[in-house]
Amino acid sequence: MKAVTGIPVLDEVVEEFPESKTLTYWIDPEVEGNAFAMQTIYTNLERGFKCAYVTVTISPESVISEFEEFGWEVKEFENFEIVDLYSSYVGFPSKCKYNANPINLEEVEVLMKKVLEKFDIVFLPASSIIDVCGEEALRCIKDWCSLAKSIGKRVVLSFVAWPYSKEVKDGIIEISNALVKVGGIHHRVILGYYYGLVKADWKNVKSRAILFKLVRPGGVRAYIPKILVTGPYNAGKSSFVHAISNRAVSVDRLGTTVALDHGHLEYKGFSIDLFGTPGQERFDPILRMLGKEALGVILVVDSTKPETFPRAKQMLESVTHFGLPYVVAANKQDLPNALPPEEIKRRMVLPNDVPVIPISAVKGEGVYKVIDALLDLLIWREGEDELEI
Amino acid sequence: MNMVEQKYQLIPGVELRKGSNVMIYGPTFSGKAMFAKSTFRKLINSNYGGIYVLTRETAEQLIEWLGNDYNPNKVKIIDCVTKSMTGEAKDTASIKRVTVMDLTGISAKISKFFEEFWRSGVKDVILVFDSLSTLLMYLNIQTVFRFLHILTGRVKMTGAIAFYIVEEGMHDEKTIVTLKQLFNGMIEFKEENGKKYVRFVSSLVKTEWFEIVVDENSVVIA
Repeated sequence: MKAVTGIPVLDEVVEEFPESKTLTYWIDPEVEGNAFAMQTIYTNLERGFKCAYVTVTISPESVISEFEEFGWEVKEFENFEIVDLYSSYVGFPSKCKYNANPINLEEVEVLMKKVLEKFDIVFLPASSIIDVCGEEALRCIKDWCSLAKSIGKRVVLSFVAWPYSKEVKDGIIEISNALVKVGGIHHRVILGYYYGLVKADWKNVKSRAILFKLVRPGGVRAYIPKILVTGPYNAGKSSFVHAISNRAVSVDRLGTTVALDHGHLEYKGFSIDLFGTPGQERFDPILRMLGKEALGVILVVDSTKPETFPRAKQMLESVTHFGLPYVVAANKQDLPNALPPEEIKRRMVLPNDVPVIPISAVKGEGVYKVIDALLDLLIWREGEDELEI
Repeated sequence: MNMVEQKYQLIPGVELRKGSNVMIYGPTFSGKAMFAKSTFRKLINSNYGGIYVLTRETAEQLIEWLGNDYNPNKVKIIDCVTKSMTGEAKDTASIKRVTVMDLTGISAKISKFFEEFWRSGVKDVILVFDSLSTLLMYLNIQTVFRFLHILTGRVKMTGAIAFYIVEEGMHDEKTIVTLKQLFNGMIEFKEENGKKYVRFVSSLVKTEWFEIVVDENSVVIA
């Protein structure tokens, strides 16, 4: 079985975590990013790899407890060991088989050699090691990564990007075969979190940014905060939201939506909230308000009623003037007089690059292709979300 | 310019702007911690959100001291003591527990609390860090400086007011000089002939020494 990162979306991009490679999570100091390495380790424990987790600033008991918070019972795995560089440092006796005092780098080097030889995947908290042992510890980290490379082992590094010297930062970049940036959306406070692949030397891939939240239990979950589902009256928005959601509610009166549809979807590692708006014009203020907070829009149109297309265009314009990406779901394709997607695109005078996806919401046909198309626009749009360290 | 309201000022003539990072410096038992606590209490009772980072007492001890003034919606605590002792301590929405060496955990949790206050409409926040001296027992000054560089920048960005307690006599002069670079000023305490005093020092202001009286709940100018 091949090793993987265990991180949603990332594994679809890099496909595997090959042997002899160092994977680095480059973490914003204000972002809780430890879960990334923990998720990589746990995923590979489940796959049968022998994994070691080095701790320097947190007690081994706390490490176990942090894994458990995410629902990862590492204690149950015989192929898991904690390498304790914490207890001796703070003056406690260590209960771990593998332990050393990080003040004595020579002792740590001997220990790490043993660990790398015995385990398939080793986690190293690079920045914590540098914090405790000084910047000279970078040389040791480089040596351990070189050793891992020469004997076919894998190293997972977490590097919290405090304002270290350029030499330290360049050194970490140099030893990393793959770099994943874990960052925050900085405003006066940090409003959201993202990760993205900066490089992977075994795959020719572009940088991409993915929003995430930490779920306890669950771990790193890619998510899209809010997708707006809009469209004219009776186009099938509620049917679409219900067809695609793991759970959904609607506020209806006389069979049509008078407030909101809300659905939640877990799909391809994403956690997606869908908000369906009423189609009547009197609800347009709600539409504009939701549009300000949404990240993407799905416009549902009735393929059998071209006379509603001008209203559909009007609704689209009121929510997309902030530059939101959108896709069109051409609904009711199961009916005999449905217009094909290309004809709908022509009649609505939509740009060529706007996806128009044929669906039947009541039959659940094609609905996931709509989500796929929007994810492509939001997450994978080339030339955007370029990540740099 | 936003100021802390006059009635909450301990030291006459000193106006703390939003976004200020202030060191509280003095010998043991000179009233530093009580000054920080009582200022914290006054401000949370004045619609500030409060974040308290504890390295010398537990969250429960602070909550007991706050008594009826404790409101988990307005007081967020980062307890760096309990987990270091027991290894196992559950977090709540308003109390997060980390080990004192886990600067990443402390930083991320402070940042999360700032975000929560921001999203709930609380724009004025006081942060107390008690104390930097504990961090410096375990970590070198370069590491602590890097951590504070990020934290003081966030305080400035959010417009909060932050106090950082440092024990006099525990650190060499170079360490204190390095730390001072990060702060807008220093509230300095001293004890002479059985009496306690306080003053404020910054690059622009240096007040006279004011005699203070410290009890279990407050610090007041004598």
